[in-house]
Order: sequence, then C-alpha cells, then structure tokens
Amino acid sequence: MQASKKLLIYKVLLFVFAFFIAFLPSTTLRNKEVNSRVIVGILGLDGGDKISITAQYVMPTEAQGTTGKDTVTVEGETLDAAAEALNTALGRRVELGHCSMVIVGSETKPEQLGSLLSATDVTADVWMAAAEGKAKDLIGDLTDFMKKTGATDADFIAYSARKAHIATNTLLGFLSDINSASKTAYIPLVEMQTEPKEEGGGGGSGDSSGGGSGGSQQGGGGQSGGEKKEEQKGMKVEKLAVYGEKGRVCVLDSTSARGVAWVSAPVEKGTVCSDVEFEGETIKGVCGRLLKKRTSVKVDAKNNVATIKVKAYIEPHGDKFNRLYATNSKKADEALVKGYTEKIRREVESAYRDCLAANVDPMFIGREAFRYHPDFYKNEYNYQSIEVKYDIEIALK
Amino acid sequence: MNSATQQQSNTQFDSEATQNAGATNTRETKQTTGKQLVAIIFILAMATKMFLLPIFLIQATGRDGYIILSVYGAFDLITLIPMLIAIRICDVDIFELLSSVLGRVGAKIAVVFIWLFLLFKLNTAVSEILTFYGTNVLSDFNTSMMLIVLLAFLAATGAHTLRALSRLNEILVPVIVLCLAVLVAIVIMTGFDLCNIFPAVADKKGFSDALVKHPAWVGDFTPLLLFIGRTKTKKHTWCFAAGSGVIGTTVAVFFAIALSAAFGNVPTYVDASTNISNILQFSVGNVYGRLDMFSSILWSVSVFIEAALFFYATCRCASFVVGKPAHLVISLCTCVIVYVVQVFALTDPMIFSVAVTSKLCAIATPILAAVLPLLALVCAVVYNTKHKKPSAEEEQNAGE
Repeated sequence: MQASKKLLIYKVLLFVFAFFIAFLPSTTLRNKEVNSRVIVGILGLDGGDKISITAQYVMPTEAQGTTGKDTVTVEGETLDAAAEALNTALGRRVELGHCSMVIVGSETKPEQLGSLLSATDVTADVWMAAAEGKAKDLIGDLTDFMKKTGATDADFIAYSARKAHIATNTLLGFLSDINSASKTAYIPLVEMQTEPKEEGGGGGSGDSSGGGSGGSQQGGGGQSGGEKKEEQKGMKVEKLAVYGEKGRVCVLDSTSARGVAWVSAPVEKGTVCSDVEFEGETIKGVCGRLLKKRTSVKVDAKNNVATIKVKAYIEPHGDKFNRLYATNSKKADEALVKGYTEKIRREVESAYRDCLAANVDPMFIGREAFRYHPDFYKNEYNYQSIEVKYDIEIALK
Repeated sequence: MNSATQQQSNTQFDSEATQNAGATNTRETKQTTGKQLVAIIFILAMATKMFLLPIFLIQATGRDGYIILSVYGAFDLITLIPMLIAIRICDVDIFELLSSVLGRVGAKIAVVFIWLFLLFKLNTAVSEILTFYGTNVLSDFNTSMMLIVLLAFLAATGAHTLRALSRLNEILVPVIVLCLAVLVAIVIMTGFDLCNIFPAVADKKGFSDALVKHPAWVGDFTPLLLFIGRTKTKKHTWCFAAGSGVIGTTVAVFFAIALSAAFGNVPTYVDASTNISNILQFSVGNVYGRLDMFSSILWSVSVFIEAALFFYATCRCASFVVGKPAHLVISLCTCVIVYVVQVFALTDPMIFSVAVTSKLCAIATPILAAVLPLLALVCAVVYNTKHKKPSAEEEQNAGE
C-alpha cells in the first residue's frame, strides 16, 4: 500500500476516533453532570458544642446560563458529619474543591481546620479569614455585598496578599504554623464596613465595624440584626486574629497587625505613612510605597537574645515628599529614613508587646530557636524571658 | 525463499523492521545517540523520585524526608558509574554480552533476575502513576479503565524499538525541563520558607527506620542495561551523561526539600494527592493562576517515559528468556501481568505502601540495583579481554 494511502487511512481513523470521543454519551451529557453539582465558594466554620458549617454556594438556576449565589448552614457532631449534611441540605453533590476561602468563627478550634483539610476536598491553598464573631454572620454579610457589587469569592483576600500590607494565610500555612515550635498562627480578621440605612437620610460615616450583625441567611436560622437595618459598604481587613493550640487567643489591632505583617508575612507591597521631623517641623503623613522587604529573625542562644531584622525598600511619593525633597534632598532623605524607621519599629514593637502579653508568638521566635538551636529550645528557651532586639533598616528608592 | 531471507537478515542489517523482528538476542546496530542517552538519564534520575517517594518519606520521618531521598539519589548515581563504563567499553548488547561471558544458561538465569527486578520497578512506577492521577487529576475516573489506556501506550512502546522510545523522550525532555524550570522559579521567587527543613535528623530512630524501609525506589538506572552496545557515543558523552544524572537527582532533591519544608510540621496531612502544585499554592496563594498546575502536569509526563523504559526493558528480557523475538505478544503478556498485579493485588495505595516497604523489597532492591550494573561492567571487561575490537571497516559495515 502506498504511503499516501496509509496516511489517508490514518487520518480517517483519527477523525472517527475524535468524532467518537466528542459524541460519547459521557461527553454530550456533561452539562447534566455540572448541573448536578453545587460549587462552594466560601466555607464558614463555627465551633462550639456542635460544629456548624456555612457554605456560600453557586448553583445553576432555571434561566439559561445564569447562576445564583446564596448561603446555607448545617450542623453536625463532627466536621465529617457536617460536611455530609451539606450534600443533603442542598440536594446535590457539594463541590468543595473550588472553595477559595474558609472563614473561621471565634470559637473554631485549630484541630477542626485540620479535619477540614484531611476529611474534605478543601484544598491546602485555600485562603483563611477570621470573623469577629460567628463565621455564619460574616458570610451572610459578604454574600449580600457580593450580590450587590459583583465581587467574587476571595478576591479581596487575594488582593490583600499581593497589594496591601496584610498578613494573610492559607489553610496549610495556618496548620503548619500552629504545629510549629511557636504553636501560633494568624488569620486576618475580616469586618464589614456598614452604614445605617435610614429613610430619607444620607449621612453616616461608613467606617464603623460591622462585626457580627448578620445579613439574610437561608436555611441557617440567621439573625436579622435587630430593628436597625445596616447596609454593607465594603470590607475591612486590618486586624489580625492570633491562634494558639486551643483556639483564638487575641485579636491584634491594626498597628500590631502591621507589625506581624512586617516580620511574618511574605507580602512585599503596601503603603507606609509616617510623620517626619524636618528642619524643626513635623510633617504629618508622608507616604511611600513599599517595593521590597527582607526580614529575618535570628536567635542568639548564648545570650538569650532574638533579633528581628527588617530591611524595607521604600519609594516615597506624594506632594508632601516633593516639598521636602525640593527644599533639601539629602536632609529630606535622612528625615524620611528616620521617620519610616520609627514607624516600622513602633509597629513591630507593638506587635511583640501585645503577643507577649497574650503569650503567643506570631513572629515565630520560638520556631527559629527550634530550627537552629534545638538543644537550646528544648532546655532553656522561654518566650517570656528572651530579650528581643530590633534592627530596622530603610533603603529609599 | 525462506532461507534466502534468513541469509539476508543474518548478513546485513538493512532495515529497522528486520532488526526489530529478531533483535532480542542478536547483535543490533546502534539504536540511540549520546544525546538521547543523556536525556534518558535525566528522566530516570528524577521521574519516580518526584512522585510518591517524597510523600512516603515525609509520612515516615517528617521534615527529614529529603535527606533520605538524597541518600537514595546518591546511591543511584554511584550505580550509574559502572553502567556508563559498561556502555562505553562494550560494543555488544547486554544479552550477547551475558551469553558470551556466562554461557547461554548462565545468561538466562542472570536475565531472569534482571527481568524480575525490572518487573518490580515497572509495577512500582505504574502504581505511582495510578495513585497520583487516580487521587489527584482524574479523581472520579475508574482506575482499572485508566490502567488499560496506560497499558495500551506501554504495549506500543514495547512493540517498537529503543530508537523510537529514545526519540520520543528526546522530543519531550525540553518541554519537561522548561516546566521544571518554571516550577523551580516559582518556588524560589515566591519566598518559599525552605528553612522549615531544620533541624535535621531530630528524631534519629524514625530517620533510620525510614531509611531502611524505602529502598524500593533505588535502581532507577537499571533500564540502561539495554543501552549497552546500542548507543552511538562521542568523546564527551560520558561527562554529559554523568552531569545529567546529577542534575536530575538535584531536581528531585530540590522538590523533596520543598515538600519536606511545607509538610515538616504537619506530616500527617500529606497524602497521595499532595504534589508540588499544592506546595506552590501554599506559599503564594493562587496569585500565579494555574501556571504551576500546567507545568506540573507536563512535568509529570516524565514518569510515563520512565514507566515505558521499564516496560521496554522488561519485555526485551522476557524475549531473551523465552528465546522468541515476538515483541508484540510478549508486550501484551507483560500488560496482562501488570494489569493483574495492579487491579487485583495492589488495589489500594496502602497495600502498595506495605508491599514496597516490606523487608524483602528493602533488602532485595538495593542489592540488585548495585549488583546488576557491576555484573554488566565485569562482563564487559571480561568480554573485551576475550575478544579483540572489530576493525574500523567492520564497524562501518555493521553501521551501514
């Protein structure tokens, strides 16, 4: 047989094979398969006597090509049981593999998050967020806000991880941290910015913490938030929930949260604003953009000293900086370096002070001691007594 | 007519088809190039060592898993040295070499051991592929169906020549290297906390237990026995081949370090569905989209090549033992064996884990992995002293 004929036969066979694959029953009926599933975008976990799971899910609706976003809350004796109850609650197979954020309530225990990773399809890279009160309430508010704005899933946490100076964490990151020698992990606390909704009234500052007031819930018995109606205006991720082995230990304010972010979070973007002393005058809020940072925690076992070193590369900008720079560029640089150094030192010191008081170690001094001085860690190390020094260096660009 | 054909095939190697039809225990022309050998060594050095081995090691010894993998990698690199020397100094294929030195019966006994070892390694590789894809990429797909598709590919490689397999690998290796480079770059650029591998060997007993339990993964260079006498080499091929082995092992160790660092604190959470893709996500969230997943899937192609090499070598050993060059039939029979083993014996990753960490495997695998290259080297030296080298003219004729 000629080569060209053979080639033709191969081509025909390939076409038949491709046709067969394309029109296999399992291929043509795939739409039904998708319709039989529910995709969970955000999962909330509340601990207590029973474990409660709240899922924000996306489900295909009757209208062609559209989906609906809503929430459901289920309870179970164990996390496995609660996860199983989700399937029955929605009457479809729940797809947890696409979940992009897990929100934990104040009562949630770290071991429950471990079960979430090992017993469900939730992936290790899922973002973590903490609710001030119940995760169920925060998810309700988030769902309302997302319906209104079109924001999707964990967009805002992903943004924080890249562009803002927030210490974010993933599920595996959290579990790894809590099981490290420091026995501490952190999760950013998400709050809703709300505004009282009054008839005929504009007004309102729009900057109050929404916290636990709930939005509409389905199937979960959510609370309405009382007589006053509040409207979600946006989200706020400034504080940091810090966890020990048994659960949430404290919530760090925005200053301390930034301090932890300087030392422990890999984020290299964000804005630094500081008051600057320049030629006897205090210039408020001179801002700069963080370009890069290098952080390390070194433990000197001999002297029982830990040194937290931060080197930040900052690009000052804005009219205030331009004014300083035009006056005397060298002195302006010196003043800015001093101002930014003080600002970062204040934040890091504040974080360490707050964490020491709560006996948690989100800057992972204990972990560093364990890594490089395991004998010292085992025999002598005491988080409360180790002396901490700070070495802050600023490089202006 | 028949006798004329037989005479023709005995006197000249004029076409690949003729070579392949009866090539098992007769001298073949060079089927692979030095470049292809270098590419094959790179794949053999890292492929299966990047799949389930790091996971088993982390489960057994936590953050020290990468050290054990480094030890196994170093062991394999040492066994690569006699193998490369044998390839360099010997001009006849492994079967003719063994027959010439050990005699027909001795050679068959030796090849039975090689066959058993390769069959074991083949089943290990196939089981890893099924576990990895069965729990990760195609979680809802029936494993026995998946195996049929894989065996169809393996049967095709078994029925073809070493040249075809080497050429396939040569085409794929640049893509695999590129994907590995992407994965390494992501790990390095995203500030991954690799320091979590410290302190090293904090639990000495757990470490030594894991070290003696997992040597089933050594001996990855054994299929190179089939390259003896079949590789066209140049002056510096050996340096590149050794370098390729070192680079491949380094890549495997690097990813083992990344996995050990990620799961060092939580070794109980690592399972067969864990792979380097998860780890990259762990460090950076999904800010890089699924670039890492894309690279990771392409990289995983390398394990198919390694399985195909084991399959090819297993089939050729079986052909020699049986004494019949019916490659397609032998390939199909090997497929049946693999199917039965995978579907009826190694049905569960746990059974696989127990089997590969058994005392028999832990003892027999490193012994065979060390002895087989040494046997090839010794036989090559003996053969060379017995036979003078063919003249340049004869070699040229054989090449044509």
